[in-house]
Amino acid sequence: MLDGPAGGGYRSPMRRARAAEVAVVDLAVCDRCGLCLPLCPPEALHLELSDLVIDRQTCTGCRKCVAPCPVGALAMVDA
Amino acid sequence: MPDVDVLVVGAGPAGAVAAAQAKRAAPELDVVVLERDRAVGAPVRCAEGVGDAGLREFADPDAAPWVARKIARVIFIAPDDSEVRVAERDVGWILDRTRFDAHLAAQAVAAGAELLVGTEASGMTYTPDGRWDVTVRGLRGESTYRAKVVIAADGVEAMVGRWAGLDTRVPARDMESCAQYVVQGIDFDPDAIYLQFGDAVAPGGYAWIFPKGVGIANVGLGLVALKSDGRNARQYLDAWVGRRYPNGARTGYTVGGVIVHTTVPQTYADGVLVAGDAAHMINPLSGGGIVNAMKAGRLAGCTAAAAIRAGDTSARRLAAYHHAWMELLGHDHLKYYRIKQALEVLDDAFFNGLARTVNAIPQEQRTLGRIFAHALVKHPQLIPVAARFFW
Repeated sequence: MLDGPAGGGYRSPMRRARAAEVAVVDLAVCDRCGLCLPLCPPEALHLELSDLVIDRQTCTGCRKCVAPCPVGALAMVDA
Repeated sequence: MPDVDVLVVGAGPAGAVAAAQAKRAAPELDVVVLERDRAVGAPVRCAEGVGDAGLREFADPDAAPWVARKIARVIFIAPDDSEVRVAERDVGWILDRTRFDAHLAAQAVAAGAELLVGTEASGMTYTPDGRWDVTVRGLRGESTYRAKVVIAADGVEAMVGRWAGLDTRVPARDMESCAQYVVQGIDFDPDAIYLQFGDAVAPGGYAWIFPKGVGIANVGLGLVALKSDGRNARQYLDAWVGRRYPNGARTGYTVGGVIVHTTVPQTYADGVLVAGDAAHMINPLSGGGIVNAMKAGRLAGCTAAAAIRAGDTSARRLAAYHHAWMELLGHDHLKYYRIKQALEVLDDAFFNGLARTVNAIPQEQRTLGRIFAHALVKHPQLIPVAARFFW
């Protein structure tokens, strides 16, 4: 299931547990469409000079951005 | 530091119409529009379909250079590939978004707004005297614009609203992941749009063929990733296009997200109005958002101009924009969203059966209303939903 950590659902404050995994982007594949930005509950994703940037300190490892990427540019790695 | 009255972030349909409207309502205002991309309207992240009546509120499509094709009918394709032709008159248009967006932006400039392409907003802070200091990066380097009202028309990513403290997030089940090719040299009815439903084709969404001319079309799909079999949107599209048009030339490619949710809970803050995709002002049933964005832009431009003239750009004053939008379309989208949820229980067998039933009706009598009536007969659990929709 692509759910957030226990107690941290959509539109509720995320519990700041230390994430075991964080999202990473492959910029060679990313099309800069911006789809993933509003999917991120803690708002760890943003576009900087059109490149997708992921704040590893903010990412909670919830995976909500990974499957919706139309081109599969996002993946999880060990934090 | 440039001091402006209205700073519009994003020169899509929402931003361009907002800028033009603000200038027309209050010609003395300084209105600046920022566009991150180097060309307004490109890259196209859109299937480019638009309804006739809504479009005509803003521009005359007859013989316009920004139109690609007039559409006279809709052809639904069931999961088993059986087709249902629905006769409608003046269904709509397929735009050339690069030209259409440039046309709207040019109208804003003609009204007196300043347009800066290749220029993005990268952050903003609220000043003690009630202005927004917006960090702007572009061809002229980095600078700070001070604005009385910022109109956030920055599309699906919706960063400006976020900077203003608004919640522009989307639950994953309400995000359609889309991919689209421009395909040339293919055979289809160039006066029709085609929509195919089916779990194997586009789970939670649909696939489309939108003609841009004879033998050339936008061929794409949108799906809900939570319902997919693990493939991404592009992989689903490759399978669909490969099956339908193995010999078509794929001469263009785009991806993007369409938010099939309802309007964000709050579309305004002190000195900020959010419009279009950034405020989730998209029809959650169809995924259409171009006309909605223009209507919201018109409201936002009017509201901003009146607020600045009155010397009050507080959230309390700008809330009128939110109420006007909800009255115009926002409440309708709440109804459409409930219908979308009800339709989610329907499976491929239902759509295949519905296609057979509807094809038994003489073609000239096939309207969307009749199709909906047949759907209700077969699935009475939809009746309460329909009742909420119509009354």
